[in-house]
Amino acid sequence: MDIQTLSQIKSKFVARQVADELVIVPLSGNVAQMNELFTLNETGKFIWENATSNNTNASLVQLMTEAFEIDESTATSDIETFLKQMDILTKYNS
Amino acid sequence: MNQFGFEFNISIAEIILQVFSKNAIELEAGYIPFLADNESKADIQVECFKGLQTSNLETLKLLFEAKNDEQRFYSIYETSEGLCFAIYNQQTKDEIQQIAYLNKTFDYWKIYSTDAISLKYPMGPIIMHYLTLYTDAVLMHASCAYDGKTGRMFSGFSGAGKSTISMIWSKAGAQIVNDDRLVIRNINGNFYVYNTPMYYADISKKAPLNAIYLISHSPVNKAKKLTGALAVSKVMAFCIQNNFDKSFIDKRLEFFYKLSQATAIYELGFVPDQQVVTYITENEKQG
Repeated sequence: MDIQTLSQIKSKFVARQVADELVIVPLSGNVAQMNELFTLNETGKFIWENATSNNTNASLVQLMTEAFEIDESTATSDIETFLKQMDILTKYNS
Repeated sequence: MNQFGFEFNISIAEIILQVFSKNAIELEAGYIPFLADNESKADIQVECFKGLQTSNLETLKLLFEAKNDEQRFYSIYETSEGLCFAIYNQQTKDEIQQIAYLNKTFDYWKIYSTDAISLKYPMGPIIMHYLTLYTDAVLMHASCAYDGKTGRMFSGFSGAGKSTISMIWSKAGAQIVNDDRLVIRNINGNFYVYNTPMYYADISKKAPLNAIYLISHSPVNKAKKLTGALAVSKVMAFCIQNNFDKSFIDKRLEFFYKLSQATAIYELGFVPDQQVVTYITENEKQG
């Protein structure tokens, strides 16, 4: 998944912050997906919240290096890992 | 034994439903212990009609379908005044047995039925679910045991042992609020568990909610306390939900966040014998 796809999928979810983490719940028109809930840690929460149509992978890397005081390669790796994990959500993008 | 009448006040989780009709209504045995004084002020009105009006369903926007590979339970449509529910006959699958309309404030139902049993399954549980959106409450797949001091709720996937652990607590002298479906209410920051009318008759019960256990079978008894987002999401997963509306999910998330702040939540792997009672009480003492 890329940042643009994630920014589109976000509208299909309701998110709530709990401490430094995020719970995300899919809007669903059937019972099959009704009880699928996801939790995002602090890094995931940051990427989720900044996955907007204005941001690219590169600009998100820049934001992460500033927010978490990490180097570019760590930020790039964190984003790639997170986006791969978010592939599970593609079924909601229909 | 079923009861017949033109008006019933039913108290579910201390919320009064006034069920009434010009035609006689047949109330199933499970509802009888929940009957309240007819002078009680109604929170929710349920007006029942005999005969179906299905002609306009195709013109409405479909919002939600409750069905699986084997069974179709109900469909929810959007109307200008709220929601419309098409309830299917559980034997014939696609035949509509009831049409129900709910207003936008969740406090007025109009139910059109083919027979006099207006609250028959799954209409009754649907009303209970939307009753929780009317107030600060949720409907859970769970069991609850109350030992006179502590109310413990047990939830988990089908086959996880909700009824088994209820029986174990019952043998230890605890009252079982219910072993399948419960309402949790937040009343001024205090959380209470209530049973709901079932297909069998049982007295109306209420208990404080002090601890939640998400259970599974295990070779040894072991408990792990959950906090934060994980606690919220894992408990909410066992809530009965119609998640087609953002406001419904927002309300649930807020409820479970407050619940997780007020109540200890554990994952519990358990061996199905009496020793789990001692294990749980000792574990709670240690915090």
